[in-house]
Amino acid sequence: MTSIGTGYDLQNSVFSPDGRNFQVEYAVKAVENGGTCVGIRCKDGVVLAVEKIITSKLLKPGANKKIATVDRNVGIVSSGLIPDGRHFVSRARDEAASWRSTYKAPIPLAALAGRLGGYVQAYTLYSSVRPFGVTAIVGGWDSAGALGVDGQVGSGPSAGAGGKIPGAKAGGPALYMIEPSGSYWGYYGAATGKGRQTAKSELEKLGLASGNLSLEAGVKEAARIIYVAHEDSKDKEFELEMSWISSMDGPTKGRHQEVPKDMLEEAEKLAKTALEGEDEEETTAPEGETMEE
Amino acid sequence: MNHLPQAWGRPRDDVYGPYDASYLQSRLPQTHTQSPIVTGTSVLAVKFKDGVVIAADNLASYGSLARFTDVKRLRPFNSKSIVGIGGDVSDMQYLDRLLNSLDVTENYSSTGHSLNAKNLHTYLSKVMYKRRSDINPLWNQMLVAGLDGNDEPFLSSVDLLGTTFSSPTLATGFGAHLAQPLLRKVADDESKVADITRERAVEAVKECMKVLFYRDARSLDRYSIAVVTKEGGLELKEDEQLEGQSWAFAETIRGYGRTQEA
Amino acid sequence: MASLFSSNPTLASNPSYLFSQAPHNLAAGNKEHGFYPYTDNGGSTLGITGNDFAIIAGDTRSTSGYSINTRYSPKVFRIGGDDETGEGAHIILSVVGYAADGTALKERLNAIVKMYKYQHGKKMTVKACAQRLATILYGKRFFPYYVTAILGGLDEDGKGALYSYDPVGSYEREQCRAAGAAASLIMPFLDNQVNFKNQYLPGTGVGHDLQARQTEPLPLHEVEQLVRDAFTSATERHIEVGDGLQMFVVTKGGIEEKYFPLKRD
Repeated sequence: MTSIGTGYDLQNSVFSPDGRNFQVEYAVKAVENGGTCVGIRCKDGVVLAVEKIITSKLLKPGANKKIATVDRNVGIVSSGLIPDGRHFVSRARDEAASWRSTYKAPIPLAALAGRLGGYVQAYTLYSSVRPFGVTAIVGGWDSAGALGVDGQVGSGPSAGAGGKIPGAKAGGPALYMIEPSGSYWGYYGAATGKGRQTAKSELEKLGLASGNLSLEAGVKEAARIIYVAHEDSKDKEFELEMSWISSMDGPTKGRHQEVPKDMLEEAEKLAKTALEGEDEEETTAPEGETMEE
Repeated sequence: MNHLPQAWGRPRDDVYGPYDASYLQSRLPQTHTQSPIVTGTSVLAVKFKDGVVIAADNLASYGSLARFTDVKRLRPFNSKSIVGIGGDVSDMQYLDRLLNSLDVTENYSSTGHSLNAKNLHTYLSKVMYKRRSDINPLWNQMLVAGLDGNDEPFLSSVDLLGTTFSSPTLATGFGAHLAQPLLRKVADDESKVADITRERAVEAVKECMKVLFYRDARSLDRYSIAVVTKEGGLELKEDEQLEGQSWAFAETIRGYGRTQEA
Repeated sequence: MASLFSSNPTLASNPSYLFSQAPHNLAAGNKEHGFYPYTDNGGSTLGITGNDFAIIAGDTRSTSGYSINTRYSPKVFRIGGDDETGEGAHIILSVVGYAADGTALKERLNAIVKMYKYQHGKKMTVKACAQRLATILYGKRFFPYYVTAILGGLDEDGKGALYSYDPVGSYEREQCRAAGAAASLIMPFLDNQVNFKNQYLPGTGVGHDLQARQTEPLPLHEVEQLVRDAFTSATERHIEVGDGLQMFVVTKGGIEEKYFPLKRD
């Protein structure tokens, strides 16, 4: 950051001579210290997981959720400034509700990510505001079958014009990550927060692009990755929070829900044993901070 | 020419005098529903020992025309309660979307407790009363069935005027005249509810659906029926056929062109 | 609407368009509003006070026209108590007429009386509550709560207090009052039995010399029996009255609720 002190970093929306918006880069710094968040797009659903650092022993375990539900089929988890994350979620809920009132159908994940990206981006354009101090992972399931419009009371023609096409498939799992600049991409696996580098390299090993990982296996992997990524800040205690979304005929019936307690505990147990095994092999040297994209 | 765009295209003040802006009606008078258009008929419900049974036929009428024959008038809410809706179908669809959005916002937090049928009825009655007070009513009468906060059977009604009442048996529309007296034979008092089995309640409701089909010209023999219990949750069947119909009595009808024995 | 203004006015004094000449193909006359925002749910209420108590009673039938909605729909409520149990309440209110307005009115007054307690740390007096209720009703003067309300409790001296209202907030403190569908049946009975109207002392003379029987506060058990008689009689003669009688008795010991079945025909 050679340009620090030149004055171009003191105001939002102002470019430095080499074309950077420093306020956005500082916002990214806020994210880099947040709890690690992971999202995995599996073949039959999406998993979201977050490492919740316990900042006080007086906090009630299991309370103060960090993963939020936006619409029935959408969940958001974010790293960075928590109040910024809350506001971001609130905006996402408004967008989802507004889409529903216009189109009488749930918002497609691509559209939601687009609107949220646009919203975040707007906070880089004005000197009167600061950029969002969060990177958010948005996960969801776009209905695969033809969905009735909200408030529909009949079943429509069973055949012929206006009838449904049997076996037609669309939608599926979706995972997006939105950064403080407003840029957003669709991912097979996404990670943000303090342990993102470790998490990303672990995600890459999963071979997600081949689309073979099942949702159940994804839950276990997400838990393991959070535990692995936590190794660098071992001195701090943390709590694992996870949610998942499956298709209509999967375990969550197309809804974004918390991962059931017994399943979460099972995944945590596996994650811990996996870590112990790794320690014995003594292979993983702590990775240094490499260049960010 | 005046540089203000607002003045462009308008008669010049210096020639015609100032424009009388009062002629510019910015909006038409607001209009509200004056009468229902596409309508659903009766909804019936009976409380029993450990739950509630509710039924409504699948017809939406356009005046005397049987317009839509696959209309689901029992709308489930968060898999624990159900609302049976009679009256205007478009208002019913609005209410369904309203309940849908309520369900979405209720699931923002996963605190473990969710709205029960009693809460739902209170919510709907406030919606209905507010709309009638705005002289913009939702033209419906609804029965809310499910379980209350103590997991006891709950059944209550609310209509377009915001009037609410509760009873062991309820029926809306034509059913209030034809079915309710028959249902009251099954349970005329809250204290009797504990003696009624699920089978008895379902049988009574089905029998009443049949009576209504015989005598209500705006009814259909395809219907939806739901049972809510603590154990079984919400069991909803949306495409049932009225069984055991007998039109033998039609033979005895005289008049309307049929004057003597066939 | 746009075409209305597109015609070219040649002279300001001679407009080419007049609203009175507007071509209208609408049916002549005003269309009547299709929605009437009120209904009558029948039933009757009645309140009587004694020296150290107040009673308000109401039948529990709710009707729509000739139909009975339900046989148990309370018209008398505790005001200022706990939401579920009514515990801690010291005022009672009855509402008869349009039940939805009655519920709304009850809930408003209840919230106000509770807020009063939280804000001032003391219970609202029945007198203050009575005035407040009048204000609420009058505030909706041009879209009234279509109900006849009766408010009861004990006044600052511990004497029974009863206030009766019209739908727009006109009110007065009384010894007794009947309201609702069978008010015209019950009220004369009350005049005679509570205020001893048309009762004269035998042997005190003829015509104007006859001495009226002096009123005296009635004991609780007598009043209770009067109320029950009033409702059994009203049930006989009025189709909208019946099913059950709910009675609230306020004494310095608190509020007691009683229920007696009435004929259900």
